[in-house]
Amino acid sequence: MAMMPARVKYRKMQRGSRTGIASRGNTVAFGEYGLQALERCWMDTKQIEAARVAITRHLKRRGKVWIRIFPDKSFTKKPLEVRMGTGKGAVESWVAVIRPASILFEVDGVPEALARESMRLAATKLPIPTKFIARHKLG
Amino acid sequence: MKSLALNAHPRSLSRRKGSRRLRTAGRIPAVIYGKHHAPQNLEVDTEEFDELVHKAHTEIILVDLAVQNDPVPVRLALVQDVQHNPLTGAVLHIDFHEVKPDETVTIEVPVESKGDPEGVKSGGGTLEHVRFKLRVRSLPKNLPDQILVDVSHLKVNETLHIGDIQAPEGVELLGDRKIPVFAVAAPLTAEAEAAAATPADGKQPEMIKEKKEDGAAAKPDAKAADKKPAGKK
Repeated sequence: MAMMPARVKYRKMQRGSRTGIASRGNTVAFGEYGLQALERCWMDTKQIEAARVAITRHLKRRGKVWIRIFPDKSFTKKPLEVRMGTGKGAVESWVAVIRPASILFEVDGVPEALARESMRLAATKLPIPTKFIARHKLG
Repeated sequence: MKSLALNAHPRSLSRRKGSRRLRTAGRIPAVIYGKHHAPQNLEVDTEEFDELVHKAHTEIILVDLAVQNDPVPVRLALVQDVQHNPLTGAVLHIDFHEVKPDETVTIEVPVESKGDPEGVKSGGGTLEHVRFKLRVRSLPKNLPDQILVDVSHLKVNETLHIGDIQAPEGVELLGDRKIPVFAVAAPLTAEAEAAAATPADGKQPEMIKEKKEDGAAAKPDAKAADKKPAGKK
């Protein structure tokens, strides 16, 4: 099943705001390496899945991968050549709201070079610039 | 653990505006607190702190803090917390925890693995780092930079717990002995990988309608109940 909530209270939602930088989910928490967003966007299920596939294919069943984002926001679209009005359109897809500094994916149990290359491949599937980061160490 | 020297100045600028001014002037806002003195706002030179971090090569830093115009010439302190900008990594604020040389302190120390586990080399498993820091109690001079744990004996599906780790001399490991620190997970099978894949099937999420239905069902009854007494009148 595509990434989307299992149950929702309301199917259609307002657009909301995506200003500021991520104040939560901005540190590498589970793995050793991560992919950090540098810009803001709505990332849809297809983009997240494409990036996940790119990572897992490159790692060839080694290591462990975490997806740190979840598309819990629906967005709607009206069909082509339809006059305005008569209510909100149908749900088109589900997106995750990404703010700068959000950690998108994490990897552990693989050498840094392999993790870096897998994240580079994943980054090519995403609509925003990203950077590869390692778990924060002070020294 | 050896302590490193660091200079600090008392800070008068505070809050968001003051802290921003300090940072643009090449200073980092800081605070020192402890059992024996009242908390004090400080400022530290950014370059000096970066040099100190570079020298230390560790997350646990013990400093001899020389605060300008302070009655105590040198204060022994631990770098308790460092706040960073999540995007640039720039240091935003430092917390110093003042300690006495003869007083035990409790602090979280990073734990690292040593050696390649047997389950990874021959079994094709993955080493999972479950817990990255361990709480320890010791005198400041005995504090370890990190705790190195030999994981070379771990086989597939085996776990190393806090209770299995031998603490360095003069250091007491805290926390539940059953908490896992390292584990070797079994290699991912083709079926498990296929299960992880999430092909788009066009399904929509289930709606939470129970409350609405109950409410809709309850409404006519409530109206009827209201009407009956009204009719009697």
